This record gives sequence, C-alpha cells and structure tokens, in this order.
Amino acid sequence: MSGETLAPAPQPGGARRGGSLRGAGPMRRGDALAGLGFAEVPTTQDGGADTMRPGALRGAARGRNLDGLAHALFLRLFPVIAAMVLATQVVIAWVNYGDQIRLTGERAQMMADMTARALARPDWTTSHGPQLQALALDPAFRVATLRDAAGNVVGRLGEEPRGRGFERIQVGSEIEAGPPGQPAGSLTLVLSAEALRANAEKQFVMVLGASLALMLAFALALRLAVRRHVLAPLTRLLSAMGRVEHKEWVTVDLAGRQRPSREIADISSAFNRMVEGLKSGDEARHLLAELERTHARLAEANGLVMESLGYASRIQQAVLPGPGALRGPTLEVAVLWEPLHVVGGDYFWLEEIDGLCIVVVADCTGHGVPGAFLTLIVATALDRILHDQGLRRPDDILAALDGVVRTRLRQETGQVAGRAAEAPEGSDDGLDCGVCVLDRASRILHFAGAGLALTVLDGAGVTRIKGRRHGLGYRRTGREEALSGTAVPLADGQTFFLMTDGVSDQMGGASRRLLGHRGVAEILARHRDLPLDGQVAALEAALAAHRGPEPRRDDMTLVAFRPRTG
Amino acid sequence: MDRIQIPATSRSPLVDFDFEAGHLLLRGESYPEDAAAFYGPLLQALRRCLETDGAPLTFDVALSYFNSSSAKALMNLFMPLEDAAADGRPVTIRWLYAEGDESIAEAGEDFAADFSHARFEMVQETAA
Repeated sequence: MSGETLAPAPQPGGARRGGSLRGAGPMRRGDALAGLGFAEVPTTQDGGADTMRPGALRGAARGRNLDGLAHALFLRLFPVIAAMVLATQVVIAWVNYGDQIRLTGERAQMMADMTARALARPDWTTSHGPQLQALALDPAFRVATLRDAAGNVVGRLGEEPRGRGFERIQVGSEIEAGPPGQPAGSLTLVLSAEALRANAEKQFVMVLGASLALMLAFALALRLAVRRHVLAPLTRLLSAMGRVEHKEWVTVDLAGRQRPSREIADISSAFNRMVEGLKSGDEARHLLAELERTHARLAEANGLVMESLGYASRIQQAVLPGPGALRGPTLEVAVLWEPLHVVGGDYFWLEEIDGLCIVVVADCTGHGVPGAFLTLIVATALDRILHDQGLRRPDDILAALDGVVRTRLRQETGQVAGRAAEAPEGSDDGLDCGVCVLDRASRILHFAGAGLALTVLDGAGVTRIKGRRHGLGYRRTGREEALSGTAVPLADGQTFFLMTDGVSDQMGGASRRLLGHRGVAEILARHRDLPLDGQVAALEAALAAHRGPEPRRDDMTLVAFRPRTG
Repeated sequence: MDRIQIPATSRSPLVDFDFEAGHLLLRGESYPEDAAAFYGPLLQALRRCLETDGAPLTFDVALSYFNSSSAKALMNLFMPLEDAAADGRPVTIRWLYAEGDESIAEAGEDFAADFSHARFEMVQETAA
C-alpha cells in the first residue's frame, strides 16, 4: 500500500478551489452574524407590517442577552475594584514594613551605642569578648566588628552575611576610651532584616487572600441578588409579553421568592393592568362580534318570517270580502280590519243572498298565524253553511259553525268535561262569533252571538245586545248555554256594529285601564253624525290616542252598517 | 304540594299558588302567545291539589287584561274548583278589579254566573 491511495492528492487549480468553496467557503454575512451570537431581528422593510408579527418579542426575551449584560458588567467592575483594594493593602503593608525596618535600625543603633559605652575602657582592644557575645544574644545578630582608630580590625564575632544588601541593617558607634572627642575606635553591628521581610510577605499574602475572598463573596452576592430581583423578573415579564402577543392573557406574579425590585414591580403591575385592560377589551370585541353575528342571523330569520307573513297576509286578504261588498244605495258599510301581526284570527263575512244581507264577524282564539289558520276553517265552513246548506237564521248558522269547527279540530273525541287540559296535544280552540241577517223586506235585523255582542247606535243612545257568553268550538264542558237569536226591528237612524274584543280591549290612559265597551260606545256616539267611514276612522284615531305608548293587545275588527231610509 | 311562584312578565301574570296555605293568586295582565302552555301546568297542579285534601281554598284573580284564550284557561281553572265546592270543599274565588274598571268587573260578573257552589266575590281595589 502506498500513501497515494490512502489520501487522494489535492487537485491543482480550480477544482480544488471549487471544492473549498462548497465545503468550507467564505461565510456569508448572516453566518458571521449568527456566529457572533446575533439573533434574527425583525425588519420593517415591508412598511412595518410585521412589526407586531407574533413572536417578534421573543428574541428579546431570551435570557442569554440579559445574562450577557450581567457578565460584561461584572467583568468590567471586578478588576477595577480588585486592583483598588489590592493597591491599598500593598501600600499599607509597605508602610508597615518601612516602620519595622526603622524601628529595628533604632534598636540596633541603641545596642551598638550601649556596647560601645561598655567597651570604653583602656584595655578595650584586648578584653571585649563578653560584650560582643552579649550582642550575639539578639536573634537577628549577624556580625560585630571592632576597629581601632587606625581602622584595623581588633575583634570580630559572627560571620559576614551573604545575600542582598537590603536584608541587613548595619550601624556603627564610636568607642571613646580616652578623652572625649577623640575616638579610640569603632564598633560596627550588622543585624538581619530577613524575619521582617518574611513577616511582611506573610502579611501581604494574607491580605491578598482575604481581599480575594471578600471580592468573590461580594461579586457572588451581587450577582445572585441581581439575578433574583432583576433578571428573573425581567425574563418573566418578557416571556409574559411574548404570550400576550398571542392573545394569551397572562399576568406576572409579583409575589413569591423572586420578588422583583421596586421599579420592575411597578412596570410589572402596569403590565398586568394593561393585560387586564386588553383582555376585557378583547373579550368585549369578541362579544360584540358575536352579538353582531347573532343580530345578523336574527335579522335574516326575522326577514324570512316577515316575508312569509306578508305572503300569508295576501292569501288571508284574498279570502276576506272586498271593500265594496254589500255597499249599495240602501246600505252604508264600513270595515276596520287590523291584525296585530300582519295576519290575524279576526274574520268577517259580508254577502247578500236572496235579498238578505249577511254580516258575520268572528274572533278566533289566538292571533297571528294560529289565529289565521282558524279563520280559514271558518271561511270554508261559512261557505258550506250559507251556500250548500242554505241556512239563514243566525242561531242556526252559529250552531252549524260550532259543529264544523269541532269536527275539523277533532274536539269531539275525549270530550269528558274538565279533562281538556290533561291532553294538551288535543285542540281546545274556538272562536267568538256574531251573525247579523238583515231582512230589508220585513225591516227586521236578526242577530245571534256567541261571545260577541251587537252594538246598536240610534237616537236614543247605545244598546248592546249580548249573545251567549260562550264562544263556538272548544271542547265541550257541558255548561254551554243554548244559542238563541234576537230580532231587532229596523228604525230610522240606526247604526249597527259588530266588533271583536280587540277593539274595546285597549290598555292605556292615565290609569292604565281597558277602554271597555262603554268607552267605545261613547266614542261612537260622539261621532254619530259623521258618514260611516268617517265615524270608523274617528274611532280608530280615538283608540290610538287612548293607547298612547302602550302596544295593542289583540287583532281588531269592526264592521259597521247603516241601512239607509228611503 | 309544592308552591308555584312565577314572576309576572309583560304578557303573563304573577302566579302564586300556595297550596299548603290554601291560597292561589293571579295578578297582572294575561295574553301569552300560547295560553294553553302557560295555564296547562297550573291546571294540572290545581287538580292534584284538589285530589289530595279538603282544606278551604281561596283563589284571588286580579287581572287588568286577559285575552280570549286566557279567559278560556280561567274557565278551565274555575270548573274543577266549582266541582270541588259542589263536593263540599269550601272554595272562595275573589275577583279583584280596579275601581272604575268596568270591563274587568263585567267579565267577573260573567264568570260569576258559572258558580253556584263556590263563593264568588267581587272585590273592588282602590288605587294605591
């Protein structure tokens, strides 16, 4: 095996360069930034549209950046403080050392002086042993040298120390054995300063160690406090901000072990208040949007119902007689038909058959759509009764109508008295009805009513002819009165009114009371001299005035007719 | 028997049927969209009460307006009371109407005609 097969030789020229570009080519700018620890920062190149992009704050919320700041702070502060403390201690140690050196020098001088005095005798050049040996008792003693006046060494004790000059203290003293002012010789004493230096060194090391320990403790305590009361609360605040961006309404906990510093606590509580505000605003916006959607759905549903009711109303009005029915040279007729809700349970019939004018007014139970269903049954029944069966007596007509309604609504089954409401699925509906048959030939008006009265207005006043109290239909209770007719001879100046209870049941006035039959009669009498149409219009206006702001309670129908004399 | 208490609405009266105390009350206006649905449960409760014991019963009716469906429902409530009175139970119906309210007074007189065993009192209430 050769080396060539193990590692392919690099290809010369471009190929090598290309490979290098692909593999470890120059870094792009972004890589360099990433390598330096720069996180992606949202840009606003597109006009700031993404400045509040979800997560835009998250980069800033990374704890690393805050920690980095703290690191930098400590790395810069620590050496400065350490150097200052250290320098102070060194200066103190240096001054101490200088003091020690000075004191030792003074002591050495004193020792030299004392020994020189002790030696100041005539025979000092020969007997000096004990004095020098006394000097050697000092532990710092190194060497003592005695010289005569000519400078020759007379005596020596100890050895000349080697080493650096600053580690020894050398003093000298004159020996005056003769007359004063004429030195007989000199004593030179050398003491070692090594112990002092060692002491100073020891002191310096101790101070250094203590300073370092103190600095370390201080740094750690500060760092811990900052982390606990500044960095951690800030991180929590930032991460909460990030979540709030995503409409997650979190607040920051201000209590607990990592209690934030006062400024951050203030910011945090302001943030919490802002979150509460945003949250309630957001909830209100949601509720409002929900309300708008519901309102739109309701409006749509109501539109459909009203459209449907409008259609139903066209059908119901097609079933009602036209306004011109019965009107002629001998009979004045006016009609008021006002359903409460577009369609209604009130119905009227106007027809002239065989020279008889037949007027029927019916008030079916309920109003609106359920009432309107019943009016169709009544319309069909009356058609059969008047045209097929040919009934002409009002009480007969009512009895037949009663029968048809019961049969149609299947009220004859389960007719045990008083059990009606225990079978709510069955019908217990019916109608109030009044029938007038006007026979102009014999000048008699025949009337029969079931729950509906005939009002007669003439020169003498208002008369109300009540029919039977119970209406038609409903389940049998066994207490119904028999139907009976009334004959009213026609006279001049009479006007007849058949009206449903919706006309008189008008709640209103200062005492919020029903207008009543009497109230209606008074209004009609007040306008007796008007043409019939005008009288009915005046009544309608007076009813509206009585109601005022109160809503109507029921459908209302009034048929008025006035036979003309002549 | 449980007491039935229903607060008044704009279309239905206040109901307070206190069967234990033997006192029933309807007060307000009555024109619910579905009178049978409103009065059906009241009628059933009244029937159950009448089946249980024979204690005296007072029924106060203080309506300022009722439509024809409600009139029919009232009649349905009155019938079993009249039957119970016929069987010997002391039953009093008090028809309360505002002073001068002739329509309601007249309606009360109409209802009074249905009773021969139960006491039917017309009570005029003066304006407070």
